[in-house]
Amino acid sequence: MKIEPDDPRLTAYALGELDEVDAADAALAVEESPECRQAVEEIRATANWLRIELKNEPCPKIPVVVQPENEPKAEADEKIIPFSNTKIATIASIAALAACVLFGFILPNWWNAQKKSPQLLAKNEAQPKPEIAVTPAPTPIPEVKTDTLTVTTQEPVPVQPTPLVPEVSAFSDGLGLSPATLEEKPKTVWDEAMMKRYGRMMRPAESFPLEGGAMARNALVDGGRVSQPSVLRKQDGRTAGSPSSVAELETAPALSSPATDGSSLPAYQAMKEKLEKSKRMRYALQMRPDGVGPSPIRQSSVTALYEKLEENTFLPARENPLSTFSIDVDTASYANVRRFLNQGTFPPEGAVRVEELLNYFSYDYPAAKEGEPFSVNTEVADCPWNPEHRLVRIGLKGRELAQAKRPPSNFVFLIDVSGSMQPTERLPLIKQALQMLVRKMTPSDHVAIVVYAGTSGLVLPSTSCAHKEKILAAIDALESGGSTNGGEGIQLAYATATENFIKGGVNRVILCTDGDFNVGITSQDALVRLIEDKAKSGVFLSALGVGTDNFKDATMQKLADKGNGNYHYLDTLAEAQKVLIEQMNGTLVAIAKDVKIQVEFNPARVSAYRLIGYEKRRLRAEDFNDDTKDAGEIGAGHTVTALYEIVPPGGSVKSPGVDPLKYQTTSKPEKIADSNSKELLTLKLRYKQPDGDTSKLLEYPVIDGGKRYSQASDDFKFAAAVASFGMLLRDSEHKGNSRYETVLELAEEGKGRDESGYRAEFLNLVQKAKQLRTGR
Amino acid sequence: MKHEGQPGNSEWVGAAMERFEGPLLRYAARITGDLERAQDVVQDTFLRLCCEDHTRLDGHLAEWLFTVCRRRALDVQRKERRMESIDDLELAEPASLELSPATLAEQRDSTSHVQRLLATLPVNQREVVCLKFQNGMSYQEISRITNLSLGNVGFLIHTALATIRQRLHAEEKLAANSHRRNL
Repeated sequence: MKIEPDDPRLTAYALGELDEVDAADAALAVEESPECRQAVEEIRATANWLRIELKNEPCPKIPVVVQPENEPKAEADEKIIPFSNTKIATIASIAALAACVLFGFILPNWWNAQKKSPQLLAKNEAQPKPEIAVTPAPTPIPEVKTDTLTVTTQEPVPVQPTPLVPEVSAFSDGLGLSPATLEEKPKTVWDEAMMKRYGRMMRPAESFPLEGGAMARNALVDGGRVSQPSVLRKQDGRTAGSPSSVAELETAPALSSPATDGSSLPAYQAMKEKLEKSKRMRYALQMRPDGVGPSPIRQSSVTALYEKLEENTFLPARENPLSTFSIDVDTASYANVRRFLNQGTFPPEGAVRVEELLNYFSYDYPAAKEGEPFSVNTEVADCPWNPEHRLVRIGLKGRELAQAKRPPSNFVFLIDVSGSMQPTERLPLIKQALQMLVRKMTPSDHVAIVVYAGTSGLVLPSTSCAHKEKILAAIDALESGGSTNGGEGIQLAYATATENFIKGGVNRVILCTDGDFNVGITSQDALVRLIEDKAKSGVFLSALGVGTDNFKDATMQKLADKGNGNYHYLDTLAEAQKVLIEQMNGTLVAIAKDVKIQVEFNPARVSAYRLIGYEKRRLRAEDFNDDTKDAGEIGAGHTVTALYEIVPPGGSVKSPGVDPLKYQTTSKPEKIADSNSKELLTLKLRYKQPDGDTSKLLEYPVIDGGKRYSQASDDFKFAAAVASFGMLLRDSEHKGNSRYETVLELAEEGKGRDESGYRAEFLNLVQKAKQLRTGR
Repeated sequence: MKHEGQPGNSEWVGAAMERFEGPLLRYAARITGDLERAQDVVQDTFLRLCCEDHTRLDGHLAEWLFTVCRRRALDVQRKERRMESIDDLELAEPASLELSPATLAEQRDSTSHVQRLLATLPVNQREVVCLKFQNGMSYQEISRITNLSLGNVGFLIHTALATIRQRLHAEEKLAANSHRRNL
């Protein structure tokens, strides 16, 4: 085992986290390398320092408060938004004010009831009457506030408190689940120890001021599905076996117990549906300004932009024998989807681009032949989500390039240093990522740094990587502040790149931003035109997106698309490591550009087809042979994967359909040139050399060998799993039998060796989506 | 089937609270950014513990508590976020624990050295560092608590340690220099 001082395994070794075998290997490696020994010592020293220092951090205590008071709560509300910005503070206090007003509406009863709680509690202990059985309920204030506020923005009319309570009840654990109907259940859900400690949270059943609450109560006891695992749900679950281990808890489906009173179940279900809908709507509004929003406030508050995506539909092969699209190597959508799911929410549909999910993973396609920039291979087998259909996989793999053989590079880092880049996962992340990249570069490479904010400037003129410290220091010194004039910076960056152009080398602008261009060339079209124009100079573009809320996904994607480039979303340093280090050549060294794919389907073998994903990459049939039409680039070692779902002859396909034509018969087949051809389709590709202007054509006929799904390759299965997952996330009408469970099975089967662990991570992500769907 | 009210359980939950309430509060507060909400989260966590059969949690009680606590804290934090994006017009920053340099400066006097260093790490690194060095979790346990892959946990801890090491070195150098100047 060879270990560099900067290897995570070395840290794991130093911390005693390796298993015996690996630890022995690591010990040997450390023995041999003085640098590693030094590193291990330092890691251990740092770890010890951290342990000691962190142990000293005071542990907060939960105060034992019994008497709730009104005022402190209101203050607490103001504290909820942890921002120092005064403007925000103002907004926060308005919010708090609004919340207070609303409390006035609905809370008096609640407080009164709460004050009574100790007595009731005592009574309860003395004579165990079921109707005052006590249920734990966490302090409900934050939840109430959230939901009341939502309602305020939705309807400026005086708030009707009635619908609030069911919503609150269903959304927050244990809140308002005080069961008068829990007769058969053991009286104390509440543990004695808990009672002593958290007595203030006690709430008797009477504290429910509104009938909506009662409805929720009954319904819950009836074993309706609860949106989150709650104490009560678990209690019900005891009949079905208590989910005790962590894993079980994670995956435990909503449990139901025999209904004690079936009549209120429909009412609860209806309520739940309504809640779900309003929740979803709120979310959609939050993320998709193109959605129909009743509230102008809400619309203007939205800054993260995801363009709506119309999915490809099934097209009849007879009328539309040609399918043409540009390849795409972007991966941003996957990283973004991962971020959403890791935060426990589903991504907005517009953020899910299936082709970018597919292309996040490398596939084990055969290497390109000598003299060709990429290999092309296809596979046809059963379609897992629709057994009557066939699935065609088209895979390209760019020629590998030995790390050492990378041509000299001329990079311009174009870095957004506007105020919005301040959070750690933006500029600081970018700085770390770029420093990581610079460390990997060789003395024949050059780096320049351009920053842009209110004004743009050349921070570092093109500098040879023989002087890495200089470049690293310049990156280190970057600070954020000011507004964003993206346009000017881009011009300066391209000018710098052109000035230092290396013929036959890699010339690339690396744009790092949250995409929030707000000054200068503001219109997206103007910006795109600018980039398109600059791309002709032979300088390529890589866009690295960071940030969350005001992240302009669509802008970034378009820029990279038009700028002969690729687009990646960096959510973590690990992702930066993947994009910039592991796949450095793929990301940074283009080996062919304007790669277009055109598929001609044989109507005798294909009744209809659907290209899965690539919605933004579709080209017109005539664009295929038009060398002035821009298309995607493929990087060294990159794999590109596209899937077609095919309806075999005779198969039916649900399509909107048009009336039969009056003057000609379309239903009768015209003469098919070669109706005996066994070919399913012909795959045609066009590409240009990175510095070329004329394209080369490749053609491959594809025959369907009738492969069953079980005979398909691992990569086929895995790609199918990813596509199926994408369709589920988009809630696609074409998802067929796709289910998270089947995605998991497929992906598990197709996981292969998975040396980099990305496929395992995918499985993890699907697991999360599944939990999110079923568990909440 | 165990019932929550059983005397044995009560003792057990009490012991768990004694031991883990503080650490869980620290942990939850990092996620929610607010002690009060952290308190609710932790209370909720223990409430759930009451419903568990303790014989089945033996040996991985801490892991269980942190997992439940984390999920609940994230839920709470999400709710806050949702609210913010609705009622704020210009909130560019996520509602995480990100601190602006100004805030950092303000806090400089009141926070300890290690906290200042931690504050410069990305949120996910900070979290695993705390789980590892403050709460003594293994990579395996952290991986299960955070749902990150084992490799990812290793990478995050590695990167975080490297950063902290670097910063400590830099500070030492700085201190040495200023000391020299003062002489």
